[in-house]
Amino acid sequence: MTNSSLPASEQLQRRTFWRRPQGSLFTWLAPASVGLVLALLVLPPIAVLIKTSLTQEQTGAYTIAHFRDLFADPQFYTATWNSLLFSGLSTALSILFGTTVAWVVVRTNAPWRGLAYVTAAVSLGTPYILHVMAWLFFLGRSGPVNELYRAFTDTGGNLFDVFSMSGMVLIQGMLWSPLVFLLLAATFERSNAEWEEAARMCGASIARTMWSISFRQAWPAITGMALFVFIRNLESFDVPVLVGGPGRVYLLTTDIYLSTTEMPPKMGRASAFSVILIAVLSAALLCYNRYSANADRYASVTGKGYRPRPFDLGRHKWLGTAVVVLNFLFVLGLPLIVSLWLSLMPFARPFAMAALPFATLENFQQVLSDRHLIGLGINTLVVAAEAATLAMLIAAVAGWLVVRHQAGARLIEVLSSIPIVFPGIVVGVALILIALNLPIPLYGSLTLIMLAFLIRFLPYAMRYAHTGVLQIHRELEEAAGAAGAGQFTVFRKIVVPLLVPALVSGWVFIFLLGANELSMSILLAGANSQVMPVAIYDRWSSGQNVEVFALGLVWTAFMSVLMLVLYLTGRRFLAALRPANL
Amino acid sequence: MLAASSLMRRLGLAAVLLPLAGSLPAAAQSEKELYEAAKKEGSINWYTGFVQNQLVRPVVANFEAKYPGVRINVTGGRDIDIMIKILAEAKAGGLQADLVEGPSVVKPLREAGLIQPYVPEAAAKLAPNHKDAKGDWNAVLVHYLVPAVNTELVKPADEPKSLEDLLDPKWKGKMAWTGEMTIAGPPGFIGSVLNAYGEEKGMAYLEKLGAQKVATIPSNPRVVLDQVIAGQYAIGLVTYNHHSAISIAKGAPVKWLPVNPAIGAMAREVLLKGGPHPNGAKLLINYLLSPEGQKVIQEAGYIPSNPAVAAKDPSLKPEVTGFKVFSPPPADEDRDIDKWIAIYKKLFQ
Repeated sequence: MTNSSLPASEQLQRRTFWRRPQGSLFTWLAPASVGLVLALLVLPPIAVLIKTSLTQEQTGAYTIAHFRDLFADPQFYTATWNSLLFSGLSTALSILFGTTVAWVVVRTNAPWRGLAYVTAAVSLGTPYILHVMAWLFFLGRSGPVNELYRAFTDTGGNLFDVFSMSGMVLIQGMLWSPLVFLLLAATFERSNAEWEEAARMCGASIARTMWSISFRQAWPAITGMALFVFIRNLESFDVPVLVGGPGRVYLLTTDIYLSTTEMPPKMGRASAFSVILIAVLSAALLCYNRYSANADRYASVTGKGYRPRPFDLGRHKWLGTAVVVLNFLFVLGLPLIVSLWLSLMPFARPFAMAALPFATLENFQQVLSDRHLIGLGINTLVVAAEAATLAMLIAAVAGWLVVRHQAGARLIEVLSSIPIVFPGIVVGVALILIALNLPIPLYGSLTLIMLAFLIRFLPYAMRYAHTGVLQIHRELEEAAGAAGAGQFTVFRKIVVPLLVPALVSGWVFIFLLGANELSMSILLAGANSQVMPVAIYDRWSSGQNVEVFALGLVWTAFMSVLMLVLYLTGRRFLAALRPANL
Repeated sequence: MLAASSLMRRLGLAAVLLPLAGSLPAAAQSEKELYEAAKKEGSINWYTGFVQNQLVRPVVANFEAKYPGVRINVTGGRDIDIMIKILAEAKAGGLQADLVEGPSVVKPLREAGLIQPYVPEAAAKLAPNHKDAKGDWNAVLVHYLVPAVNTELVKPADEPKSLEDLLDPKWKGKMAWTGEMTIAGPPGFIGSVLNAYGEEKGMAYLEKLGAQKVATIPSNPRVVLDQVIAGQYAIGLVTYNHHSAISIAKGAPVKWLPVNPAIGAMAREVLLKGGPHPNGAKLLINYLLSPEGQKVIQEAGYIPSNPAVAAKDPSLKPEVTGFKVFSPPPADEDRDIDKWIAIYKKLFQ
C-alpha cells in the first residue's frame, strides 16, 4: 500500500522478516535503551543551550535579544556568505583529496600505499595547534615560501598571504582530509569487486570503472561524509579565528568566538547561534535520510564473497605512489618538519642557514624533565580510550537500528547527530552546571571530561557505524534469521563482525580526537584531572612557543608508537574475529 | 595566644566578637592563626592564569614548603576560561575556587557578587593605586604594556618613538596586537590614546591607526610578541615589557620601546566569597604579597607590586626608564571599557 513503489521482492522481505510481529526482546530493548542513553547524553546540554540563548546574562531575565542581534548585525550576511564559501571549498578539498587517496590505497596496487595509513594516524595524533601553527609559519610572511619569493624577485612583498580565504581553505581542507581518508578507506575496502570486475571485463578503462562503479557505489558514504564535513567546517572556530581573524576575513563563528572571549564572556550569543545551527542541521539530516532510505541499492557486502581485489595500475603505478607521497607531505610531512625546526630553536626563527648554529636540544630537555608529563599522558589516554569505546559501542547499535529502520530510528539518528553543532565551550559550561547539581562528585574528575568527549564525538562514531552498516546487505541478516537466529544473535554474530573494520576506524579516530581535544578539556580539567592538550596550550599561550613544538612532537611520537602497537595487536584480533568463510 | 584564639573560636566567642572585628578587618587573624585554620581546611583551590612552570610551580613549591599540611590545587588556563568556570560554579551553587587573579576579573566578579573583601596584612606596603581600599583586590604584580619591534626587521633609526610614528605608511599591515578585550589589549590602548590626546584628537588618531590594518592575533600579548620575534610582524603594539626582557635574555631579536604612554595593568588577586577554603586563600594572598612571595615573582622575571622588592631588570619600571604610564583607577576602567571595545569594533574589526 504505502510501499507500493518498492520492488516486490523488497516488500516481500519486509513482510516476511522485518515486520515479524513476535519480535524478540532485543527488538524493542535495543532501540529503547540506546534511545534512553542518547537522550540522557544529548538532551541536558540542549536544554542548557536553549535556556542560555534565551537568558539575559547580567539579570538572568528572559530575552530574545541574542537571536535578534544575530540577524540585525549588518555583518551577518557577509559573514554567512564567507562561512558558506569557506565550508564548501574546504569540504570539496578534503573530499577530493581524501577520496582519491583512499581509492588509490585500498583499490590499487600502487607501491607505498601503507604510508597513507601511517600519515592519517600520525597526523590525527599530532596536536591540532601544531598543524595550524606550522602552516601559518610555513606560508607566513617569514616562512620559506615568501622568503624564497623575496630572494628571487627582490620585491620585498609576499607571494602568498596565508591570512586569507584561500589560506583558510587550504589549512582546513588538509586538516580534515585524514578523516575522509579513514572513513572512505573502510568503505572502499568493502566495495563489491564483482561489479568492478564485470566492468573491466566489458572493456571499461580503470578511470571509467572507478568513476562509474567504485565512486557510485561509495556515493552514499561520500555524500554523507561531505555533508558531515561541511557542517563540521561551518561550526569550526579554530581556523576561522586563528587564520581568518588576523586577515579580517570574518565568518559567522568568528563573532561567536569573540563574544565568548569578552570579559565577562557572552555565552548567550554563542548559544543562540548553536540553536540556529541545530535547526539547520536537523533540516539537513532530513535531506540526508533520502539517501539512506534507499540503502539497499548501495549495499556491497552481500552473501556472495566480497573481498575485493586491487586494480593493477601497471605502468601507472608511480602515479598512485605520487598521490600517496603528496598526501604524506601535505598532511604530515610539512607540519612535522616545521615543528622539528622550531622545536630545535631557542625561540621561533625563520628557516635559514644562519639560524642553524642556534639549534639546541634544550626544549626537549625541558619537556622531558617535567615530572607531570607521565601523569598527563596517562590521564589523556584513559579519557580518550574510554570515550572512544563507549561511543563506538553506542554507535554500533544505533547505526544498525537507523539503517534498518527499526523503531525510533529517526529519533536516534537526530539525537546522535546533533552534538556535532555543539560548540565545545557550550558543552563544557553545560556539563559544569549539570555536574555541580548532581549528588555524585563528578565535577573536576576525568569522568566528566570523558562524558564531554562522548557527547561531542558521538556524531563521528555514528558516521563510521552508519556507513559501515549501509554496506552490509540485509540478505546476510535475513539468512541468519531464516536459519532461526534471534535479532540479538544476528546482530552479534553477523552485523558486529562485518562492522568491525568501520568500528575500529571510528575508535581510532575518536581516540585521536579526544587525545587532542582542547576547548572542553580546558574548562573541565580540574587540578587533578589535567590532560595533555591543555598542557600544550598553556605553554603556547605563555610564551614557551618553541617548547610547545617539542612537547607536541614528543606526544606525537608517543601516540604513533601506541598506534603501531594497537595496530599490530589489533590485526591479530581482527583476523580471529572475521568469519572464516568471508 | 594561638591556643586562646582557637579556644575562643571553639566556644563560639569569635562569633560574638565578629561584628566588632568587622570594622577592623586587617588585624583579624595573624599569620599563625591563618596557618592553623588553613591546615584544618587542608588545601587551597587556586584558579590562576599565571604561567605554570615559570611562576605557579615555584610559588606552590615554596608555599607548601613554608606551610606544610596545606596543599595548593592549581587550576590553570586562560583568564577567560577560568572566569567561565568560576561563574558557572557559582551559578550551580557549588563554588570550588578560593582565589583568582587577572587584569580584568574584578568587574565580572563584583557584578556576580563573588568578591569577599579582605585586607591582608602584607598589603600595607603597596602603593594606594595597587590595592583596593575596601580590600576587594590587591595587586600581586604589575605589568607595563608597550610596543615591541623585531630588531632584524626594524632598524634602530626606524624605531617608533611616539604614537605618531606608528602612523608611518611603511608599517601598514606590519603591526599586530592581541584580541583580548581587556585593559591589557586594544581597549587599553584606545583608552590611553583618548586619555593622552583628548576625545576629538584621540579619535582622529585612532581612525588613522585603523587604516594601518593592525592584525588582531586571537590570543594574548605573549603570543603576539612571539609572532614578532618569529618575524611575522615588525611591530607588536600592546606587549608586556617584561616578556621582551625574558626573550632578550634568550637572545631573541626583540626590543621593547618606551613609547608614551605605556599602559599599566596589574594582576589583581581576589578572595572569592563562598569558596571552600577561605583561610587557606587568605594565607596564600598574604604569602604572594610578602617579600618572600614577591621574590619568587621577581625571580620569574615579573615586576613585583611590593615596592620593597625590585624588578629583576630594573629598567622595566617607569620610574627607572622614565616613561609615562596610563593606569586608570579600576572604577574608571570598569566605566569606560565597554566604550573602548565599541571603538575597537568600529575602527579595527
